[in-house]
Amino acid sequence: MDARNFTFMFYGFLAAWLIVMLYVIVLARRGARLKKELDAVKKIASHPEQHADRR
Amino acid sequence: MKTVKHALLIARKDLALELRTKESLNAAGAFAIVILLLFSFAFDPDSEMVKEIGGGLLWLVFAFAGALVFNRSFARELPNDCLDTLLASPLSPASLLTGKALANFLMLLAMELISIVIFGIFFNVNWTHRFGELSLVFALGTWGISMLGAVFGALTVNLRLRELMLPIIIYPLLIPLLIAAIELTKLLLSNQAPTPSDFLWAKILVVFDLVFTALAIMLADTILVN
Amino acid sequence: MRDKLAIGLAAAASALLANNLYQMFMVLPDEALQGAIYRILFFHAPAAMVGMIGYFVALTFSVLYLSSKNFLYDSLAASIVEVSLVFSLVNIVTGSIWARIIWGIWWTWDYRLTSALVCILIFFGYLVMRRAIDEPTQRARLSSALCIFGCVDVVIVWKSIEWFRNQHPGPVLDFRTGGGKMDPAYSHVFWLNFLAILLMGVALVLIRTRQEATAREIDSLRRLAHTAA
Repeated sequence: MDARNFTFMFYGFLAAWLIVMLYVIVLARRGARLKKELDAVKKIASHPEQHADRR
Repeated sequence: MKTVKHALLIARKDLALELRTKESLNAAGAFAIVILLLFSFAFDPDSEMVKEIGGGLLWLVFAFAGALVFNRSFARELPNDCLDTLLASPLSPASLLTGKALANFLMLLAMELISIVIFGIFFNVNWTHRFGELSLVFALGTWGISMLGAVFGALTVNLRLRELMLPIIIYPLLIPLLIAAIELTKLLLSNQAPTPSDFLWAKILVVFDLVFTALAIMLADTILVN
Repeated sequence: MRDKLAIGLAAAASALLANNLYQMFMVLPDEALQGAIYRILFFHAPAAMVGMIGYFVALTFSVLYLSSKNFLYDSLAASIVEVSLVFSLVNIVTGSIWARIIWGIWWTWDYRLTSALVCILIFFGYLVMRRAIDEPTQRARLSSALCIFGCVDVVIVWKSIEWFRNQHPGPVLDFRTGGGKMDPAYSHVFWLNFLAILLMGVALVLIRTRQEATAREIDSLRRLAHTAA
């Protein structure tokens, strides 16, 4: 069996998985950032007078 | 009927404005000439190959220069809240969109006429022997570009980086139209007899124009909202 | 509830994928003409199919948004386009790697590859446009319009590029042994992998949609805080 075939098959699978994994990582990071932002904004929204001088 | 009348009114307004300043026409015309000049360095202008690639060359020029025209189309309404006034007026969004497309169409056709003359001179191509059919192809192709240009000009008018985003969005959408126009132009410039598959390209041009004009009119209320 | 569904779907997809990988490497024999590399097909083609289906499902949700003005539909459409783009990218990259061995070149202007690339560009433009609009209603409205135009164009793009390439034939994209139907053993694993990728796609869409809803919540809370202060 042609050895280059195996190598490129591996590259093909690696590429497919890498792309999907990268996207999953991007999603996870975006999710974490959104959660942090949501907590911060909830705090500001529940106590607007405490944060008024920030502006 | 009222929609058509209003569309013609908008087209007349835009053309009058444009003829007064000639800013889009000058920019598009100059840009077209510069691209043709650059192409003369990219390819050998004297070779027979020019007849093969001439169609592609011309339509690339038209598409790029056209972007300058439809970028200005809605952007010129932004100062002094002209766009809001237009949207608040009794004009239907469909007539506003179609009128803008019509104005773009006429301006682009003028630019194309200048371009083909210069192209004929620069590259020694005779474009007159089938001028009737060629102008039909130009008209059909340009209408598609103008309509999509008007729609996406309206969509992107208030966005950041409008000048960058409009080409990114519009060129992939224009690919079928450009392919069809390029094939037909190549055929007509080399004065060949049309084969049955060439009529397919003419059909694609017509279908593209009809489908996207209908879609634009249907979605005009969504695209242009006050 | 939606999170549990996403996790469940991801688990099912993983289990299926594990089974399929076992089948691919341990059970199925090598293909006669291509050797080992034909196995890329089991990801290449399903990714393309899931991507294409995704664009048209996004079209449906875009139309639903325009008629109902419910932001959930807009979130779903945007999420589906994003996930479909990822799978379309998988399709193009795996196809390119496969082509390197089978045809000896990384890229060719074969009609399927060209059309796939055009679709990616159209919907990449969709995502670029979404990022440029801050106001949620305007963003949803304009994205829906662009999605409708994009999907209608996708149909015209595929047919016209196919006709164009038939006039200018390039290397023949024929991964099957003689241009005939796929061997039943292969097609079984193929469709199972299609299902696995579809489930994975749906799970990703659910997670992404949740994030869109969170982003909208943040936006409205910010406005609330701004007006209250």
